[in-house]
Amino acid sequence: MRKFATILLFIAVIAVISSLLGQQAWSSDGIEEIKKRGYLLWGSDAEGGAPYVFPDPKNPSRLIGFEVDLANAIAKELGIEARQLQNAWDSLIPALKRGDFDIAMNGIEITPQREGEVLFSKPYYIYTEQLVVRKNETRIKSIDDLKGKKVGTLSGAVAQDILMNIGGVDVKVYSGQVEPYEDLALGRLDAVLLDLPIAAYYAKPNPKLKYAGNPIGEGFYGIAIKKRDSELKNTIDEILIKLLKTGELEKIYRKWDLWDKTQEKLFQAIKDTGFVGLEESKKAPIYTFFPNLLKGAGITILISVSSMLLAVVLGLILALMKIYGRPPLSTAAAAYIEIYRGTPLLIQLYILYYGLPNIGISLNPITAAFIGLGMNYAAYEAELYRAGINAVPKGQMEAALSLGMPQSLAIKRIVMPQAVRTALPGVTNDFIALFKDSSLVSVIAMVELTKTYSILAATTLRFFELGLITAVLYFAMSYPLSLLAMRLEKKLKGSKR
Amino acid sequence: MIRVSNLHKYYDNQPLFKGINLDIKKGEAVVLIGPSGSGKSTFLRCINGLEYFQEGEIDVDDIELHSINRLEPGKDDMEAIRKIRLKIGMVFQQFNLFPHMTVLENITEVPTRVLNTGKDKAVENATALLKRVNLEEKINSYPDELSGGEQQRVAIARALAMKPETMLFDEPTSSLDPEMVGEVLSVIKDLVEEGMTTLIATHEMGSAREVADRVVVFDKGDIIEIGSPEDIFTNPKAERTKTFLSRVLKQ
Repeated sequence: MRKFATILLFIAVIAVISSLLGQQAWSSDGIEEIKKRGYLLWGSDAEGGAPYVFPDPKNPSRLIGFEVDLANAIAKELGIEARQLQNAWDSLIPALKRGDFDIAMNGIEITPQREGEVLFSKPYYIYTEQLVVRKNETRIKSIDDLKGKKVGTLSGAVAQDILMNIGGVDVKVYSGQVEPYEDLALGRLDAVLLDLPIAAYYAKPNPKLKYAGNPIGEGFYGIAIKKRDSELKNTIDEILIKLLKTGELEKIYRKWDLWDKTQEKLFQAIKDTGFVGLEESKKAPIYTFFPNLLKGAGITILISVSSMLLAVVLGLILALMKIYGRPPLSTAAAAYIEIYRGTPLLIQLYILYYGLPNIGISLNPITAAFIGLGMNYAAYEAELYRAGINAVPKGQMEAALSLGMPQSLAIKRIVMPQAVRTALPGVTNDFIALFKDSSLVSVIAMVELTKTYSILAATTLRFFELGLITAVLYFAMSYPLSLLAMRLEKKLKGSKR
Repeated sequence: MIRVSNLHKYYDNQPLFKGINLDIKKGEAVVLIGPSGSGKSTFLRCINGLEYFQEGEIDVDDIELHSINRLEPGKDDMEAIRKIRLKIGMVFQQFNLFPHMTVLENITEVPTRVLNTGKDKAVENATALLKRVNLEEKINSYPDELSGGEQQRVAIARALAMKPETMLFDEPTSSLDPEMVGEVLSVIKDLVEEGMTTLIATHEMGSAREVADRVVVFDKGDIIEIGSPEDIFTNPKAERTKTFLSRVLKQ
């Protein structure tokens, strides 16, 4: 019983720590609150990459990009600092709505649909869409030639709507902005339609690709703000106007080479300047990425270990309920196990993180990851224990009872020690699987090892080297567990003890 | 000491016992014989609550176990069953030693946890019991290092460690190799001679005759004859007893 209590205590401590960690990254309402807190939380996706928000090739633990500069400029006007919070691009709006950060700024196009969900600041950039094709392409000269062609774009972007509205286009949707161009170069796509700043950074330098036709469609990027934060919106609008008037905004765009004819409509003519090219990151020594990757690995370990503990304890309770409980307890345990095993973990995480806020329960990312993985794996652990318990001969329980042991004591002292022996190798294997499944929590804004990898790789395009290093890190974490599982299995085969 | 009256038991609506009665006096050794499936084992298991029954009563030293006409017993029933189990030890055909514990731990586990016997006292008792069943040198062995006969003797010592007033033996020698039957039977015989109230379900007719004060013959869930070993084995009255004995004794 003492061991059990220790485990429960450990879980409680983890839960408290994670809620504290989460609290730190928890936004509150109102400009006064933000000022009192001392920093402005802004959500964006560093995996989206250059030139918006991406890791500095020279120092990957630092984020750079024109939106980083803009966020800093806005925060400076408020007399505080800006803190970036990582969140997948296509769930920035729901994350903002649930209160993960104060504002979302990441090339979010102002659309009537989005205006129904959040407030938008005055536009800070005029975007256009640029069609990109392979260098040897002759058939596609403009957007009118796309019928029947495979065209890639970003999930949820305005370019996707434009392609859909043409009709007859085979639209391939991606969640990152690097992959479409990669696939285009490899011949898997015929063309890519994306915002010009993206094309400028990822397609223009690529010798295999070229622009097709002039930029089309004009629209605005705006800063998304929670509906109830109109005061904050007004403040940010004022700041944007000020930055525009003082030329600060122009300076930022010049630095990132984001001017074009369209921008000239808003700003004075801008001269050509150099910008931080992606070529730089291709030359950066590989060790500069280690601090980031190791930090990601640390988060992976924290999430895996804590959720495995939850799974082990909750699984045990479920197995005991299912075997020894009477209805409705046993029915509830059986239903839990079937539901959790029968639905994808990804859906469970989405519901936990983005769904629960709809009914007033808002979990921070670490807590949601811990609970989501732990509750999912508990179903599998419960089945392992159940098999272990059923493998203990019936005579063991009868002997214990006939000696005068109460049933609970007999379960604890006689049945469980034998059941755990049977279940242990399976539990260890599940732990290894959980290590790898923990990468799924990146969908709820946790930057663990896999997410760190994809952010870095998307910026530097070094998918191969970074991928190998990441794989080695995973292997270094799971192989010791594998060895342990093998040793346990061997030991248990040798003797019943 | 133990009074079983009007015992009815059904399995899935198939009747096994249709109202059987048996009184066992203190210090008596009663041997149950009969064909396989005749209900001997189930009868023993009803007495210490490992099986439930639908009608009738079992009275162990004024602790009453009533018919339990439902799947799960209530709280009072559980209390009565527990009290009865503390008075009655049971030895199984398959030994059922705890494989993850040493011989010593098998014997001391329940006294220390249920009777709150001190550790030293429990070890002292266990050592004395092992001496009695001639297994002192196996005190730190694990069950899978013992022969069947040795395991069964440990199981008897384990039951005795709870200081029971009655011992139930459910086919204690049926899964033993023939050469080991003797060592287990002699331990049981010693117990009977010391005056332990004993119920033995067995196929071992020789020992039944030797230790029994009374022999009870079961057939198809019914008690067809009760008598002294002499009466049953030399002059059985019931036809079915004769058939059964002639079949067993021929082998």
